[in-house]
Amino acid sequence: MLATVLYEDGDHRWTMFARDPGKPDGIIDTNQYLIQSGDEAILLDPGGIELFAPMLTSVLKYVPAEGITKLFASHQDPDIISSLGLWDQALPNADLYSPWLWESFIRHFGMNNITYKAIPDEGMTITLGRIQLQFIPAHYLHSSGNFHVWDAKAGILMSGDVGAALEEPGAPLWVDSMERHGPKMKKFHQRWMPSDAAKHDWIRRVSALDIKIMAPQHGRLFKPPHVADFLRWFDQLPVGVAIKG
Amino acid sequence: MAAPVFIIAASVSAELHQAMIEARGLALTAKNARALAVRAGSKTVGFRAITDFIEELASAIISQSRVINHHAEKLSTQAVTAWHSDNAMAQFRWVEAQKPEYLASISPHINQCDKQLNALNHELQIGLRDLIGQIDESYKHIRTANLIATSSHVEAATAGDFREQLEVIADNIRKTADRIAAHLNRANSLLSQNHRERKIAC
Repeated sequence: MLATVLYEDGDHRWTMFARDPGKPDGIIDTNQYLIQSGDEAILLDPGGIELFAPMLTSVLKYVPAEGITKLFASHQDPDIISSLGLWDQALPNADLYSPWLWESFIRHFGMNNITYKAIPDEGMTITLGRIQLQFIPAHYLHSSGNFHVWDAKAGILMSGDVGAALEEPGAPLWVDSMERHGPKMKKFHQRWMPSDAAKHDWIRRVSALDIKIMAPQHGRLFKPPHVADFLRWFDQLPVGVAIKG
Repeated sequence: MAAPVFIIAASVSAELHQAMIEARGLALTAKNARALAVRAGSKTVGFRAITDFIEELASAIISQSRVINHHAEKLSTQAVTAWHSDNAMAQFRWVEAQKPEYLASISPHINQCDKQLNALNHELQIGLRDLIGQIDESYKHIRTANLIATSSHVEAATAGDFREQLEVIADNIRKTADRIAAHLNRANSLLSQNHRERKIAC
């Protein structure tokens, strides 16, 4: 599992884990994020069962187990949180922040020790060490109960499936041209995202943030000016295209 | 390769559920036999006494099947938990081999998981042994059912006009007992095979 530090300011650090060379074929590549501040750390969208061991190994290079006090699952998909039953054994004292809508579904992945902290529809703010993290609503993008993570101090938005692209292994980490990258995201966004209204509402809210890095759960990350480029591109893209007629 | 214990236990539970359905059929046979015995009057006094035994037997089989069924279901659930812990341990062993910097911080949880797995495996061994014992116990009911079927045939022989109908009932008892025995045999075979393979593995 490749680890890349995206941001570091004292003990405030964002690390991305992705591009696992040992990942079995046929499993979508995912970006996992670790945010550290003070003595605490949160793991964002910790991934599927198949990635658990390399993820735990990678994370333990940066933080001791007792330091990972929180987990976040943006929504209920297996590539996001099907490893929960294993994290439950590894981090029995942790809290899992996830949409209230999915609590009774996510528990199917196995959760005997970890505490489920239900995020209300309007979102919430938590304290991690010395920083504040905001869970901002991204409902219907694509899941009907869905949140992104905004770290105002670092200027990083973890944008879940928004901005995601399904790419070949070895693709660069950063988007360098929306013209070239747009086609790689098009089908994914058109098919997975069901609602233009939800999309426009999200763009309106996110446009007000001073985003220095937009970090999706699959594929490359965005820095200015490509963040604004992406928002413009997404704004004009029709979604929910599987509905015929 | 042996089937996982949770599948074996679930299969045993399914066999016992079928045995319970057969036993309900036996209870119905007993009711028919009683009605026939009443109609036949004094010629079937012996048979009427036998119907009480059939009803008691059916009730005992239903009750025992229910207990075994419940036990097997519980065992299957425990086996799934053990399987999860076993899976977690395999993943933890892999992580240990990579020697990440903060490996020591996870060791207490790995030890806890290992302890839990050992305890679960121990409970599973005991549970499987108990299940085999309970199924062995159920064979007693089959032997009783066969005895009742034989006695019913003897009584039917003296029932005059009702002989044929009573013989059908006696045959029903034997056939039902055979079907229940077949379910018990399959359950026993699943468990014995697993028990043998676990012993070899140890």
